[in-house]
Amino acid sequence: MEYKLRKAEPKDVSDILRLVKELAKYEEMESQVTLTEKDLLEDGFGETPFYHCIIAETPGENSSDEPDVVGFAMYYFTYDPWVGKQLYLEEFYVMDKCRGLGIGSGILRHLSDLAMKTRCTGMMFVVAENNQPSVQFYKRRGAEDLSQEEGWRLFRFDKDSLVKMATPAEE
Amino acid sequence: MDFSIRAANVEDCKDIARMIRVSKTRAHVRTERHLEQDGFSKNPFFHGIVAEVPEQHRTKEGHTKIGYALYFYSYSSWAGRAIYMEDLYVMPEFRGKGIGKALMSKVAQLGLAAGCNQLNFTVLDCNKSSVDFYLSQGCFDITDKIGYHCMRCEGEALEHLAQP
Repeated sequence: MEYKLRKAEPKDVSDILRLVKELAKYEEMESQVTLTEKDLLEDGFGETPFYHCIIAETPGENSSDEPDVVGFAMYYFTYDPWVGKQLYLEEFYVMDKCRGLGIGSGILRHLSDLAMKTRCTGMMFVVAENNQPSVQFYKRRGAEDLSQEEGWRLFRFDKDSLVKMATPAEE
Repeated sequence: MDFSIRAANVEDCKDIARMIRVSKTRAHVRTERHLEQDGFSKNPFFHGIVAEVPEQHRTKEGHTKIGYALYFYSYSSWAGRAIYMEDLYVMPEFRGKGIGKALMSKVAQLGLAAGCNQLNFTVLDCNKSSVDFYLSQGCFDITDKIGYHCMRCEGEALEHLAQP
């Protein structure tokens, strides 16, 4: 299938949110998506973007139609003081109806190329261990499971705990 | 013990590199020059805070910079702005005095000020004292709770993936 990859633009935020929600539904966590189109616009297209995004689109049904947005990847740059810059893949999704056509591989190839061009020494991401199709997709391509192999555990402070921790302790 | 926390500047890279080398066991660690380039140029890839003690409490080698945290801003496609704490370290002889907690509190404050909804970080499961410390501060283990595994593609695998 013919498809095109391009950098996301402000007009794409509604498609990005739609795809984020579709992926969350697939992981059975749709209710956890609290992000809005306004957040995506401010956070991705303001003066200091918190994320970058590439979009995969296929031609519309008729030649006069707008192309259909069928996949995306959201990423940003992180840092490991041992080995330097990393490209962090936050979200990566291709719509069900467009799977198995090389779009996912194409997105990953584009991002790996970008990682090398920006002098990143690695590309990092998290996958849920029960999402075996995805785990195998990445392992086939040479990704290492650091949680399994080195014992890394991902921890989080949510908003309430963050506020508690930010309050200085009584001396 | 009296201590202060402030934003790291380019002159702190020497002490940060020193503490990274002491705290890690891997052979290759970023040099001071890499930290300067990557943290203090026009487009920084990380930010730092440093904990200092007054001269009278300096170490026998004469160091007053005795702890640090490295962090950067990240993004959750579900919850929006987030802050990631990459490193948190206090020299052994200065532990148990609230300095680690104060460094983490500062990272939390900076995150909230920037509109972040989460603070994320990783810990090695064999580092029981750190795991216990973090859990006592109110965080939760996502790897355990949701089954998220941290994955990395590097070196030859990354180059191979980038091939057309």
